[in-house]
Amino acid sequence: MGSAYAIEAEELRRTYRARTGWLKPRRTEVEAVRGVTFTVGRGELFGLLGPNGAGKTTTIKMLNTLLIPTSGRARVCGHDVERETREVRRRIGYVFGGDRGLYDRLSALDNLRYFAELYAVPAREQKGRIAELLDLVGLAGRERERVEGYSRGMRQRLHIARGLLHSPDVLFLDEPSIGVDPVAARELRRTVADLASTGTTVLLTTHYMAEADELCDRIAVIADGCIQALGTPAELRRRAEGRRVVEVEAYGVPESAVDALRGLPGVRETAVEARGALQLLTVHSDAHVDVQSDVLRELAGIRLGRVDSREPTLEDAYVAIVSAAA
Amino acid sequence: MSGAYLPGPAASPTPFPFRARAALTPSPVPPPHRSPEKGPGMKTLRLMTVGGVIAYRALFNWTTPGMFIGTLLVGPLFQLLFFAYLGRQLQVADDRFYIVGNAVLTASLACVFGGTMAVANERRYGTLGHVLLSPRSRTAVFWGRVLPYAGNGLLIAVVTLTAGALLLGLRIPVSALPGLLLVMAAGSLACGFFGLTLGALGLRFRDVWVISNVSVALLLLLTGVNVPASGLPGWMVAVGEWLPITHAAEAARRLAAGDGLAAAAGPLGQELLVGAGYAVAAAALLKIFEFESRRTASLDVL
Ligand SMILES: Nc1ncnc2c1ncn2[C@@H]1O[C@H](COP(=O)(O)OP(=O)(O)OP(=O)(O)O)[C@@H](O)[C@H]1O
Ligand SMILES: [Mg+2]
Repeated sequence: MGSAYAIEAEELRRTYRARTGWLKPRRTEVEAVRGVTFTVGRGELFGLLGPNGAGKTTTIKMLNTLLIPTSGRARVCGHDVERETREVRRRIGYVFGGDRGLYDRLSALDNLRYFAELYAVPAREQKGRIAELLDLVGLAGRERERVEGYSRGMRQRLHIARGLLHSPDVLFLDEPSIGVDPVAARELRRTVADLASTGTTVLLTTHYMAEADELCDRIAVIADGCIQALGTPAELRRRAEGRRVVEVEAYGVPESAVDALRGLPGVRETAVEARGALQLLTVHSDAHVDVQSDVLRELAGIRLGRVDSREPTLEDAYVAIVSAAA
Repeated sequence: MSGAYLPGPAASPTPFPFRARAALTPSPVPPPHRSPEKGPGMKTLRLMTVGGVIAYRALFNWTTPGMFIGTLLVGPLFQLLFFAYLGRQLQVADDRFYIVGNAVLTASLACVFGGTMAVANERRYGTLGHVLLSPRSRTAVFWGRVLPYAGNGLLIAVVTLTAGALLLGLRIPVSALPGLLLVMAAGSLACGFFGLTLGALGLRFRDVWVISNVSVALLLLLTGVNVPASGLPGWMVAVGEWLPITHAAEAARRLAAGDGLAAAAGPLGQELLVGAGYAVAAAALLKIFEFESRRTASLDVL
């Protein structure tokens, strides 16, 4: 176990080649990951954020041996993911968000029994471990039902239990909280935090900024197959530093008024989000310019709700990073 | 937006909250008296048997009693009767030829399709990726899956032979029964590995069921079960030599005729060789296609 890092990725690239058409085959190439480099320390909780199609899942699949990198290298616990697959697989767990990936015809218990065999959990520890995990994810009592009849969130819980069966050193969580109800999602976050605090390395992808903010020691924002920013949540938030955010709830804002807001001195970005009858205006500005009164003046005559001026959140920083990359 | 996460204490209990997080901490205390660790051989055996049976329940489509009896027992029995009566009509060969040969062949349906399902159905459930993440031997995982199907095939062959013999009045010497059981087991196993080979192709080709369907029909024709080898073109006989069942059927006929185990030993050995050949082929194909899939992402593994 020479390596100080749990995960080392060096200039990872992955291109997908697909052939479409049968009579006139056309080759298409997608450069899903284009030179990704990062390290994750042992016991660190590392977040991978990015828009849909950014290359997060592809990166994880290269790290967990399911895909061979087109170029570049990666190691997990010091073992090369391309050549030392068995060593890597012994040490990793993978939870993948989604409805599929379970044997529908079997009960949760039998699903776990089977994967306990596959993931080399010693026979005499299987029973206890499975009971413990069923209890942890809140499926105890329902474990003898066929997975066929499980709700989405129940399936997701089962995915999580499976990923933990063999107490992996490194855990890849690809959107683990998808479809899980809020209370359970909070418990899941606690579980993940506990795992990290007891030495498990976690690589997490999520589209919930608050989740990433709360959990991650460090975050990489990936867009278009490249890392756009990497740092602690606080450091990333500083990306949006020098900004201030004004949020206004309004009813019936005309396009012209929004354009007028864009033209105000000190304003960097504006966005309008429809929320039922009301619209939420978000105005990013330079921090040293107080645009709130200007904004309200432009909106004179329009019925307004709550008006709020606040510090930028991680989500604001994320939006700034990703839109700068686009 | 942290508001979405209910920052306050959980107000209402959900039906299945995550619980007892302490449970997760990897227990630092090893069991006090470790009984001698099971050897790697025992572990592999367990993976093949226990794992094989669970996988069978997970992946075999015909486990319900109705499907099992209808598809695997009644259908093949009618097929046996059909060929036996046809044979009587045409006077090509005697009852024993058709009954024994077809009974041995009935194992093939469960085994060939079972072997195919053992790999191809993973796609249906999207579980292949999770299986491939296992650090354990692919060969053990997938060979183990063949065992229940082979057992299944054997059961079907025994039932069909018994029913066919009773219905058509074929007398089989009691002394031939243990040998027959052995031969049918060998045929079933060979068929199972043949099916697994086809299933392995399913890692590469999406429409592997076509191959299985064609193969089952080919077995009917090329194994010499219903058309004596002397009535087939040379190349068909040559292909049949490489298929499961051909030699098992021959061995079974000799046994049923009362020729004794020594007379059947030759074809029985050939059947076992054919089976071993497919076992090795399946393992090799699984390895190659798994590597391919990692390189080209040809498998939608998840
Ligand atoms: N098997 C495949 N064959 C071809 N292209 C693929 C394949 N898998 C992914 N891609 C492409 O690679 C790119 C990155 O996909 P990836 O699944 O890594 O994104 P992601 O960051 O996980 O997105 P999401 O947030 O939606 O899960 C996408 O453009 C996708 O279409
Ligand atoms: Mg993804």
